[in-house]
Amino acid sequence: MAGVAGGGGGGGGNDFQWCFSQVKGAIDEDVAEADIISTVEFNYSGDLLATGDKGGRVVIFQREQENKSRPHSRGEYNVYSTFQSHEPEFDYLKSLEIEEKINKIRWLPQQNAAHFLLSTNDKTIKLWKISERDKRAEGYNLKDEDGRLRDPFRITSLRVPILKPMDLMVEASPRRIFANAHTYHINSISVNSDHETYLSADDLRINLWHLEITDRSFNIVDIKPANMEELTEVITAAEFHPHHCNVFVYSSSKGTIRLCDMRSSALCDRHSKFFEEPEDPSSRSFFSEIISSISDVKFSHSGRYMMTRDYLSVKVWDLNMENRPVETYQVHEYLRSKLCSLYENDCIFDKFECCWNGSDSAIMTGSYNNFFRMFDRNTRRDITLEASRESSKPRAILKPRKVCTGGKRKKDEISVDSLDFNKKILHTAWHPTENIIAVAATNNLYIFQDKIN
Amino acid sequence: MLAKGVKRPRGEMEGGDPEPRDPSAAPASSLFNISMVKLHQSLRHVEPNLRHLVLVANTLRRMQDQMQREAGGPMAPDSPEAPSVGDDLLLSAMDSSISTILEDLGQVEVLSPARPEEEQPLAGASGARQEPARTSAPCLGPLELLSSASYLLEDSLEDIFEDIDTSMYDCDLWSPTSLSGFKAFSGAEDSDSKALAGAEDRLDMSDLDYLMDVLVGGHPPGAHRGRSIS
Repeated sequence: MAGVAGGGGGGGGNDFQWCFSQVKGAIDEDVAEADIISTVEFNYSGDLLATGDKGGRVVIFQREQENKSRPHSRGEYNVYSTFQSHEPEFDYLKSLEIEEKINKIRWLPQQNAAHFLLSTNDKTIKLWKISERDKRAEGYNLKDEDGRLRDPFRITSLRVPILKPMDLMVEASPRRIFANAHTYHINSISVNSDHETYLSADDLRINLWHLEITDRSFNIVDIKPANMEELTEVITAAEFHPHHCNVFVYSSSKGTIRLCDMRSSALCDRHSKFFEEPEDPSSRSFFSEIISSISDVKFSHSGRYMMTRDYLSVKVWDLNMENRPVETYQVHEYLRSKLCSLYENDCIFDKFECCWNGSDSAIMTGSYNNFFRMFDRNTRRDITLEASRESSKPRAILKPRKVCTGGKRKKDEISVDSLDFNKKILHTAWHPTENIIAVAATNNLYIFQDKIN
Repeated sequence: MLAKGVKRPRGEMEGGDPEPRDPSAAPASSLFNISMVKLHQSLRHVEPNLRHLVLVANTLRRMQDQMQREAGGPMAPDSPEAPSVGDDLLLSAMDSSISTILEDLGQVEVLSPARPEEEQPLAGASGARQEPARTSAPCLGPLELLSSASYLLEDSLEDIFEDIDTSMYDCDLWSPTSLSGFKAFSGAEDSDSKALAGAEDRLDMSDLDYLMDVLVGGHPPGAHRGRSIS
């Protein structure tokens, strides 16, 4: 059965199939809230895969070197480092607890042996350095091997400490803490292509930071109205352009995207481009605005397109055309008739993310029932797959899933009413160059790879 | 004009069809109630999820627009004028309540954890920060409407909430600043605005149930049946 060609590696456009590779996380039916994965991100090379969870922890997986004796099996991802990034905080002034949930992780491009990433909760962004230590110094003059200070009178000669190999230790240390700049909840961070600055966006404001400076940030977008009673729109996501360091976009709860150029003015309240698709009057309902609210925006690697995710669809926009998207993909159109129930149980407010493959030929996003969808932009083929323990045998090929929208349900199809809306796939990531994907299903992380026929 | 006391059901009053004229109006009322509940639940948090709040508030406004259009639209020829006037006033009262709810969010800025002297350079030209002693001028608009509406509805707005235990609002957590605007007005508006706009709102389920029943049109005495919400 044909899958969606990622084309990220070599053979682009060939039909291939997705196989199960690994799953991380507890198997328990009882899911601890703190273990729920809230963000997934590959680094620039794809060798590292980071996850953040509701408990404020970051787990980084590293891809093992390819095994020469089994050339057809790709390297596995194993735990490289685990650390507590954010702790719950108590704001005494407002008498409220600030959640430690990691909202986003973004890697910095690697510049030396160490790895750097930014992680953020609702209020504070932190820059973490992850470094390896495989040597230690022995033969100190002033202290013993176990660290106790030596009696100075006992020291009769000086020696030069020597480096000795030790078991590899991976250390994570917070290098910068960027705090107190956001009144509202941070939803996005994005590293600039200049590798020196980054932006952080909350519901009403976007700030620009320099990675070296923590006590100041520059406010570049502010949509807070003078009277809060006039508030009708919030910022939902923001991202820097991958190549033009002066350009960024931000999306809103009204389904619009604004592209801003920081060269035009210091406060980018006036956009350079405004992307909005006119509403289809035939499908207008009470929920039109809610389902048009954009939950994620991602530039293509090429920088020529951007993709937005709203509740029912994914849209690809050409940056040169503001009045409508160039491509629209329906993720789960069968939910349109269920919007009322989904509003009642708040599912309609779920924020799904989306991602591009390395060559921008395919896009992926999640859905309910642990389903996730992939769309091939060239062949226009789409596929629905499921992240489940049942299909978790090593290198087992994933079977395409189908939702029955009405009429007779075929064997292997699942009806809309049987979908489990508690099993939502909000976070997915695609390896930057290869056909390897990471899918977060509540507290489990699934890794799938292609199997070239 | 409505007589004070027992509120008669809409169908009875207009002498018309108690069934909703428009099939979609029936679900609209329950959606309206659900939305109001969501709004209250959102406001229970000291820092509500702003996206959720704004989307629900906008949806409520949309429903309200629809109801206003229906109220002003094709009506039974023998229906008295007073209900539609009252409808409009109740609807605009609802609208102003939504606005007032959002207005309270302006206080979030004042209570921000950022130190004031840091907030300025950090946030650049940040939006208008509310003075701690908020003057009543900006909020006079929506609440004034309520006070002028009440004489027409003859304290019926107050009746909606009279059975709700307001002792929970006499709470130390209320900062005096957020109430200063409300203090300018009479008792009728106070309980109404507190009930609808309370950021510290902790209506428990039984009170909410009662409120919903009243709004939907379940209960008699003391209750002002929400006749505009069909």
